[in-house]
Amino acid sequence: MIRAGSRLWGRGAAARALSTVSGQPGRPEAPATSPRLQDAASQAEKPPPMTSSAPVLRDCRLAIPSHRTAMQAWVESLRHYDDRHVGLADLHPDVFAVMPRVDILHSVAVWQRNYKRISYAKVKTRAEVRGGGKKPWAQKGSGRARHGSIRSPLWRGGGIIHGPRGPTSYYYMLPMKVRVLGLKVALTAKLMQDNLHIVDGLDMPTCDPQYLADLAQYRHWGQSVLIVDVNKMPENIMKAAASLKTITLVPALGLNVHSMLKHETLVLTLDTLAFLEEKLLWHDSRYTALYPFRLPYSDFP
Amino acid sequence: MAATVALAGLRRRPGSVWGVGARRLLQVTPQQNPSRDKTETHHPHYPGIVESTEEYKFVERLIPPTRIPAPPKHAQYPTPSGWRAPSDTPPALPYFVRRSRMHNVPVYKDITSGNRRMTVIRKIEGDIWALEEEVKEFLTQLAGKPPPIQVNEITCSIRIKGYFDNELKEWLLNKGF
Repeated sequence: MIRAGSRLWGRGAAARALSTVSGQPGRPEAPATSPRLQDAASQAEKPPPMTSSAPVLRDCRLAIPSHRTAMQAWVESLRHYDDRHVGLADLHPDVFAVMPRVDILHSVAVWQRNYKRISYAKVKTRAEVRGGGKKPWAQKGSGRARHGSIRSPLWRGGGIIHGPRGPTSYYYMLPMKVRVLGLKVALTAKLMQDNLHIVDGLDMPTCDPQYLADLAQYRHWGQSVLIVDVNKMPENIMKAAASLKTITLVPALGLNVHSMLKHETLVLTLDTLAFLEEKLLWHDSRYTALYPFRLPYSDFP
Repeated sequence: MAATVALAGLRRRPGSVWGVGARRLLQVTPQQNPSRDKTETHHPHYPGIVESTEEYKFVERLIPPTRIPAPPKHAQYPTPSGWRAPSDTPPALPYFVRRSRMHNVPVYKDITSGNRRMTVIRKIEGDIWALEEEVKEFLTQLAGKPPPIQVNEITCSIRIKGYFDNELKEWLLNKGF
């Protein structure tokens, strides 16, 4: 495994040198393979079985600002238990290394809970409680306190004052830039907490749910896993995840802060990475909307 | 119905009200379609409909973009508007101030309560306290005494009492941001 890793670094360095020659902007410096790592690699017993020998190297398609460097994550594969280091992926720092704004995360999570909430709590006022139209006893002469209705709020069984009235909508909208920043912060937090895993695809050799459950356990993916793909999900993983309560499949358009916080591990495919980076970074260089974005624009992503 | 058609046929003159009314009447009766085609093709002043996909490029020209374009390379800086591009290599400082999405230096004036004047530096990355030290030093030279400064690490911004936006913009531009 370590040998594979060192080989990967070497290939990565070569690719990086090539890319700097070809003039791609914002590439980090090529890391040198340390001799200590080489020794450790030669002492390793046997290399892990890998389905293909060429490592997957993923570049950011969008330009990285010159004062920042790309984040990196291992690319894994679901094809075999031991395919943990199939390649390296460069992650855009403006998506995967933003300021950890917990306040933004909180406001987005609260918004997601509330904006679709309807409260159905409703109580009856003195006018709605049945009866009470007649004055219970005369105003004077009975020796009792004066009362005009048996449904007065002072009475047992009377109406309720200042109670909840009818279905209440809690709908509100956060600004789009705040919602986008929430997604970026959540992705950053997942990466920093080592809970973000990149896979080359969702192809699995079998549709057995036990295989997927074992894979998650073997890779220490924790209690719950959120798997995101932008393309159509393969048949095998859909069948396998259908009967697993802790493993959820979500299309990339449905990725949201609440689900990311709810699940311990986030699994993204390489296509999803490209999709998310394009969609989220577009907000960093867009105009304020002239008219709603569902109407035609010439370069809407 | 046939009588009306005959009447229209008899009365049809170029641009006459009768002819137009007759055609509109005929459109709602599908049985009379052949005769309607005949009246339209035979109308001397009716130009017909030409569907053109050629002119759609003029419509496309009107659809606005969403992305703010990158500024072009100018021959010399500052440009007539006073704008300057950031230096190509980031300055060797522990902090960095990123340009706003409109490519300006993110230094703004702010006023609350009608008379509490403040200057805000936004989009600071890296060591914000190092920038605060340098800002304090710069403004002490400028104003004679150090102005009250708030550092917000969460929102990556620095708030200074008093209006110093033009001076700070110039100062940051000279540093290469």
